[in-house]
Amino acid sequence: MSDTIRPRMVDGLHTRRTLLKSSAVGFGYLALSAMLANESQQGNARASDSLNPLAAKPPHFAPRAKRIVFLFMKGGPSHVDTFDPKPLLDRDNGKPPPFELPKVLFAAQGNLLKSPWKFKQHGESGLPVSELFPHVAQHVDDLCILRSVHGTNPAHGGALLKLHTGSDQFVRPSLGAWVTYGLGTENDNLPAFVTICPTLAHGGVNNWGSAFLPAHCQGTPVGNASLPATAALVKNIRNSRIEPELQRRQLDLLAAMNREQMELQGRNQALEGRMNSFELAFRMQSTMPHIQNIADETQETMKQYGIDDPVTENFGRQCLMARRFLENGVRFVQVTHSDSEVQWDQHGDLYRGHTKNASEVDKPIAGFLADLKARGLLKDTLVLWGGEFGRTPTAQGTDGRDHNPHGFTMWMAGGGVKGGYAYGATDDYGYYALENKMHVNDLHATILHILGLDHERLTFRYAGRDFRLTDVAGKPATDILA
Amino acid sequence: MEDLSQNRAMPTFMLLSYHARSPKHRKMQRPAKAFLWLGLWFIACISSLPAVASIDAEDEKGVEFFEKNVRPILVEHCYECHSGREKNGGLLIDSREGLLAGGDSGGVIVPGDPEHSLLVEAIRYKNLDLQMPPKKPLAPEQVQTLVEWIAMGAPDPRKAESAEGAPAPTGMSIEEGRQFWSMQPISNPVAPSVDNAAWVQTPIDAFILDKLVKHGITHAAPADKRTLIRRVTLDLIGIPPTPREIDDFLADDSPDAFRQVVDRLLDSPHYGIRWGRHWLDVARYADSNGLDENLAFGTAWRYRDYVVESFNEDKPFNQFLVEQIAGDLIPNATRETKTATGFLVLGAKVLAEPDREKLLMDTIDEQLDTVGKAFLGMTIGCARCHDHKFDPLKQNDYYALAAIFKSTKTFGDTNFGAIKHWNEHTFADAEEVAKIKEVEAAIAEKQKLATGYKNDAMVKLRDQTRAKATEYLIAASAITPMTTLVDAAEVAKPLGLHPRVLHHCRLHLEYHSDDPFFAKWHELAASHDTAAIDQHYRPLFTQAPVAWAEAKQKDASITALPDPNLEAARLAMNDESGLLALPAKPGFAFDEATLAEYNRLSEEARVLESFAPDLTSCLGVTDGPIQSTLPIHIRGSHRNLGEPVARSFPQVMQAGSGNIILPRTQSGRLELAQWMASSTNPLTARVYVNRIWTWHFGRGIVNSPDNFGKLGDRPSHPELLDWLARYFIEAGWSTKDLHRLILASSTYQMSASNALEQFDSNPDPENRLHWKFNSHRLDAEQIRDSILFVTGRLDETMNGKSVPLRNRQFVFDHTSIDHTKYDSLRRAIYLPVIRNNVYTLFEQFDFPDPTMVTGVRNTTTVAPQALFMINSELVMDCSDQLAERLTDVSSDPSTRVQYLYQSTLGRPATDSELQRALEFISELTQNSSTAGQGTADQESTDSHSKRCWSIFCQTLLASNEFMYVR
Repeated sequence: MSDTIRPRMVDGLHTRRTLLKSSAVGFGYLALSAMLANESQQGNARASDSLNPLAAKPPHFAPRAKRIVFLFMKGGPSHVDTFDPKPLLDRDNGKPPPFELPKVLFAAQGNLLKSPWKFKQHGESGLPVSELFPHVAQHVDDLCILRSVHGTNPAHGGALLKLHTGSDQFVRPSLGAWVTYGLGTENDNLPAFVTICPTLAHGGVNNWGSAFLPAHCQGTPVGNASLPATAALVKNIRNSRIEPELQRRQLDLLAAMNREQMELQGRNQALEGRMNSFELAFRMQSTMPHIQNIADETQETMKQYGIDDPVTENFGRQCLMARRFLENGVRFVQVTHSDSEVQWDQHGDLYRGHTKNASEVDKPIAGFLADLKARGLLKDTLVLWGGEFGRTPTAQGTDGRDHNPHGFTMWMAGGGVKGGYAYGATDDYGYYALENKMHVNDLHATILHILGLDHERLTFRYAGRDFRLTDVAGKPATDILA
Repeated sequence: MEDLSQNRAMPTFMLLSYHARSPKHRKMQRPAKAFLWLGLWFIACISSLPAVASIDAEDEKGVEFFEKNVRPILVEHCYECHSGREKNGGLLIDSREGLLAGGDSGGVIVPGDPEHSLLVEAIRYKNLDLQMPPKKPLAPEQVQTLVEWIAMGAPDPRKAESAEGAPAPTGMSIEEGRQFWSMQPISNPVAPSVDNAAWVQTPIDAFILDKLVKHGITHAAPADKRTLIRRVTLDLIGIPPTPREIDDFLADDSPDAFRQVVDRLLDSPHYGIRWGRHWLDVARYADSNGLDENLAFGTAWRYRDYVVESFNEDKPFNQFLVEQIAGDLIPNATRETKTATGFLVLGAKVLAEPDREKLLMDTIDEQLDTVGKAFLGMTIGCARCHDHKFDPLKQNDYYALAAIFKSTKTFGDTNFGAIKHWNEHTFADAEEVAKIKEVEAAIAEKQKLATGYKNDAMVKLRDQTRAKATEYLIAASAITPMTTLVDAAEVAKPLGLHPRVLHHCRLHLEYHSDDPFFAKWHELAASHDTAAIDQHYRPLFTQAPVAWAEAKQKDASITALPDPNLEAARLAMNDESGLLALPAKPGFAFDEATLAEYNRLSEEARVLESFAPDLTSCLGVTDGPIQSTLPIHIRGSHRNLGEPVARSFPQVMQAGSGNIILPRTQSGRLELAQWMASSTNPLTARVYVNRIWTWHFGRGIVNSPDNFGKLGDRPSHPELLDWLARYFIEAGWSTKDLHRLILASSTYQMSASNALEQFDSNPDPENRLHWKFNSHRLDAEQIRDSILFVTGRLDETMNGKSVPLRNRQFVFDHTSIDHTKYDSLRRAIYLPVIRNNVYTLFEQFDFPDPTMVTGVRNTTTVAPQALFMINSELVMDCSDQLAERLTDVSSDPSTRVQYLYQSTLGRPATDSELQRALEFISELTQNSSTAGQGTADQESTDSHSKRCWSIFCQTLLASNEFMYVR
């Protein structure tokens, strides 16, 4: 167990009670389980130790980013068609691949298939971006393009789990849960970790779950991928039958009953915590909708995120919501692009599918980056973009590409990473990561590092072992730090 | 990077401290290791430190080659992971000895023979499973250098760094292990004699009291009868007692009144529901696979019902164990015993894992982990990659057990695309098989209907689009690739064009700006000359299909038109993902009516499938091809095999020293199960009685019920644990007998309050010694079932399928639409347990993760629970229902309040409570803002009154008193 991750110390009963009163139940996932374990009535050192597990905690070392947003492209966007151009693929289009294919393949693969899109250099850095991302291309000088990510899994489910939890075999805590465990939260009425419209397939809840970490570390889903952003809500956040003023009276009565009960039984932290949880729940009912309600944003902002266009509206809303969560102190926000029918998974019809998907996210992402920058948030927010794997440079059928976990691209922006920088490389055709290979474990170590956490020290003891997000591997890629 | 740059600034100091092997410094400077080693090498080269002092004269040239060419490569590219304490893969490269000794995968160099040296294979990067260095291949000339060096005989002057690389801590030896408390034979303790004999109702009390006295602690008073009957009823059947049952118990003054309550409850079928559910926590029961591909376990309910039934009939636990591990192998195996083996199949599996061998080994790992924790309290899974770091379990033990499970068939022979199917036992006769075939044909027919409708509609749309090819090109000239769909629609609509097709068309023109066929369009569009676009393209689009039809008639085998321009026009019109591509998504392609019809047909097909019958079958294992040995998987990798290990049981738990001999024709599962279920196994009975204790008291005698290993808890009352284990075995492994014994104890019947808790000096704040009963919140199922029960809504139907999905149907496909409903009013055990998306109430109230063995649930207090209590449909519906019943109870508000207190909290309201309740109701009722805007007709007054009573009911259900057991 790490000796550095420890809840903020709060001295004495008075402070503890004040804390309980004001913020103790956090957004909710302020687990009072720790308090339950300590039912001795008088405050003592152990009680304060176990207080408010979600309180902001100091990182292991100076962080480069305070918060993180992951723009997750479900299905596996093709790197050789977006951020990793391969001239030899153009040249040898239609020829058999001059390299050995992996032993384990998801499906049979054909000959090399060139990209249907042209790449152009952009910005001062001159980094190439394909014409699928004309808006994002304008921000290329802010991007740190990781071209050598690898090591997820050849199938969606395994790959999503590996990317989100580090394990494609067991249920393990998600990246967001580890970050929450390590850093706590900086707000009282919101979760530390929010995931907007996540997919319920391929790992589902496990991708934002806490597994054996304390329950308060798990992500709070806002809607799911089957719902439009306009209908994405936290569960039970609305009461359709009882007006707020009636509910207020109801909660006052409840509090009176509970207080009386407690007087009979003697003070008990668990019961006290439960009473506070109702007050917090009542407050949350107005806080969450307020953050999600983007009506007070200007027309320009709406346009910037593409909310005025049906093509980009949905993802634009998700991104704008993400900015509002980040602004309000949410530590980890995930935004998922996962169309109900045509995801980033073009086993066939690459051209049509990627065109559609890129059109839906390009402008919102660019708008999001610009907005974060204008608000001064980008410098200490780490933005991560990518899917669970890339796609093969070889063809599947005539016009598709298969899954490729052996080398693909993700990119970062903000959070103290080098802008206009490409890190690592795949081989000449884009099949295998080759230079500065960044295994998923390395990616995770790097993310934690940027947030000021040492992936080897961020541990949790479970079933007789100290677990880490990165298992027994991983190394932060310090070269990408600005 | 901060750390590193700092280190760079003071290399000498650090090198010295490192060289001096000050452990303290070494630990502190860990991140700088790479630099340290570089520095070390530097020093080694420029000075005559011992590292280079012992050069063999014969090898002088070789050594020179090594120092000049080889060492820098090793230091720069290998030492980071293979030197000093970093011994990845069990390999050290920083000494000649290390290199020659090799790593977990065996020798890495054969001096003189590069082609047979693993190191060469690794650095050549040809074997995808063995590539070093992992981040980036060496330069070709560096590879050549190392090959040459090995060919030279690998001259190497380096000596082993002695104290470095001390082996990592390993677990107990087998001998040490046998001395460990949980591995020792169950002893035969005698209940201690204590002074206060009156308190001792069972021997349990003697053990408890003895410790309390020794610690100078006074036990709590007995709980009052009202509290006690609520406690034991919720404990044994998961719902509170009825007011009638409470009254009967209060009225019964006979000495065995409580015993009779216990007997009544143990005889209730609800007992199996409550205690079967406890076992399902251990069995990580679920109705869907979860993990990667979430397919419905559409027949798992048979295992669930088997468990409930087993508890209800008080099946001896040793038999229960054997059935679950080897119910298919026992003599006279029945449908019931085969169903029990579902235990081994219920785990979450990566069904789409393309690497089948990995899938098999991962599945076995899950089974070993579950079997180990559930029955033996041992984390066997920890020995997959290496010997257990703490417990006396060796990697050999793991693969000896794994061989038994490798000889067992957990997967079936069918699959759905990349998704493998688990094994099932089928009990269907030919007639049923034929009937199910018909059902499946009907489902396929419905699905075809939906797909056919979609395809036809797409064809029609495509024809319309093709006919307007020219119009699309003209319209495209009015927009840019950046034009929003809203603006594109303004152009498209008046012309009768499809906005999304136009939008795509414009993007396509952009992406194909270098296509000669579109060059003219770009030129004309730039000058907005729509007439010219029309003039240029219309003839081509008109002629192309005609020319194609004619050409085809002449020669059916042609693949292209001879005229390149016409051919390009033909392609532009016909390429389904080209210029005129339709949106692939029906929601984007179709008009409202078409979409609605398509959705209706799809939904019909889905519903038909979801509720269609399955073959009568259950999840379960059978024996597969018998593998008498299984090689050790080095570092847990199935691609790196070591010495074969014969099937066996963990050595530390074997009583005799003789080898386990297993039948040649069977997997050995039956023998394993019988061995675990025997009275000589030190763990099985101890682990189980501790589980039962944990479920009664909220914490165990061993407070880590799934881990009796070194990192687990030590028993608070070791003699009591052994006494209970022995009692249990002597009583024929009867669970109900154990309940009777525990429930009859003063220990169980104590009050949840004790003056001791008010004292700072309390020596046992966690109540390990049992000086009071632990009050605790109801668990998820108790909360739901109690709410339904006290509001009169609970449906007491037992057994049967309850997941609304066909076996192996997707719970979630790519759409993420949740079709699972939780609106059933039956006991919570009959609600679907969907992995990856557990029912909200379950998830919020600490239902265990259904992929892991859970012996004791968490109790968290979080705000979403409060949201559930105040806003969920379930709680509000129940409150409405209870308010509804009040009409029949009385019109007198006081009588109503008393009725509500009795039925929810099991007690009358006090005067002040009654007063407060009446005030609340009357205030709420008279509140003008809620009285339906003054329209005071009788109906609305009634419904308003009901609403106010409902809000009051909900408050009682949400109260701490309702939600806690004392």
